[in-house]
Amino acid sequence: MIQLIFFLSIGVLLFASLFFLARRNPRPEGSSGALIEARQALVALQAGLLPIELVQRIFAEQDWEYVRSESPAAVRELFMEERKKVALLWVDQVRAQIRSLSRFHRGSARSYARLNPRLEMELALGFAGLTFACRVLRVIVYVGGPYAAPRMVGAMANAASRTCKISEQSLAFLNAAQLGMLGGRSTGTAAL
Amino acid sequence: MNASTRRMDVEQAVEDLRHRTLSDIPRSLDRLIYLASMRDYNTGLYYHDGLASRFTQEVACQALADCHREAFNQLVACSLRELVGQMEEYINSTHTSPRNFVTAWRKLEPYRVAVPVETDPVVAHFLCSSFKIALAILEARLRSAPAEPVA
Repeated sequence: MIQLIFFLSIGVLLFASLFFLARRNPRPEGSSGALIEARQALVALQAGLLPIELVQRIFAEQDWEYVRSESPAAVRELFMEERKKVALLWVDQVRAQIRSLSRFHRGSARSYARLNPRLEMELALGFAGLTFACRVLRVIVYVGGPYAAPRMVGAMANAASRTCKISEQSLAFLNAAQLGMLGGRSTGTAAL
Repeated sequence: MNASTRRMDVEQAVEDLRHRTLSDIPRSLDRLIYLASMRDYNTGLYYHDGLASRFTQEVACQALADCHREAFNQLVACSLRELVGQMEEYINSTHTSPRNFVTAWRKLEPYRVAVPVETDPVVAHFLCSSFKIALAILEARLRSAPAEPVA
């Protein structure tokens, strides 16, 4: 009887693990959906979140100097509150896009034989470091405000840009026309 | 029409728009508001009869979208001091009472509908947040300034 219960338990456990493994990633790795998601993450990072001009604007201390010198306490408070929200949103978005890109590379490393293992290792380390840096930066900004770690912001943005370049290089073998076609299908009209 | 010909047409239309219309609108803020008003909120498409008659509706739409994005990016690149300055000049150009203007903008937040489509959410949030701060600065200035004479 005990043996029966034992084997039944093992059977249930195996079934449960199979169920969870099957549910974990419903999309086949290396699929066009995953490719579009990775491309969108790369574009969002390179064109949207990481350009140095934007990072400098969000964390510009000259704006704070201006508000501090010319405005009453209520406006100063509003300024800090607003800039903190934007800074946290920026960190969260960078982290989300990095994770999305990292997911694609983890999946594609198994699907595409033409990926360079050395580059993929470099990327894996880059993604891990950036995810950790984002978490740390989030805590620092949350506690100390948007101007608490200017050097860390710069270093993180540079590291993320470097990692994006490696990612782009790593995926260069994917046909640009194919990517354009997939992207065009998903994004609608250019004017919109 | 192939992609490169269409791109060339769009570039010509952008130049035409800059030369004929936007040259009279020097500030990025005014350009942003003007170009956003050319967009149909139901479809997201831009309309400009003059430009469409010289090119095609599709090319005119793309040129307006490009100029709208450009004005938006210029405004994002402005410092808070510059944004406040542009807002002050814009208020003066509308001949509205500054107090009424600031109250209306704080309530209606019209700058939210002036964001081009496909703008990164962080960038859009940043500019809207800067507008909010700029309005607070202007409101504080108005409060400390003597009351306007009644007309």
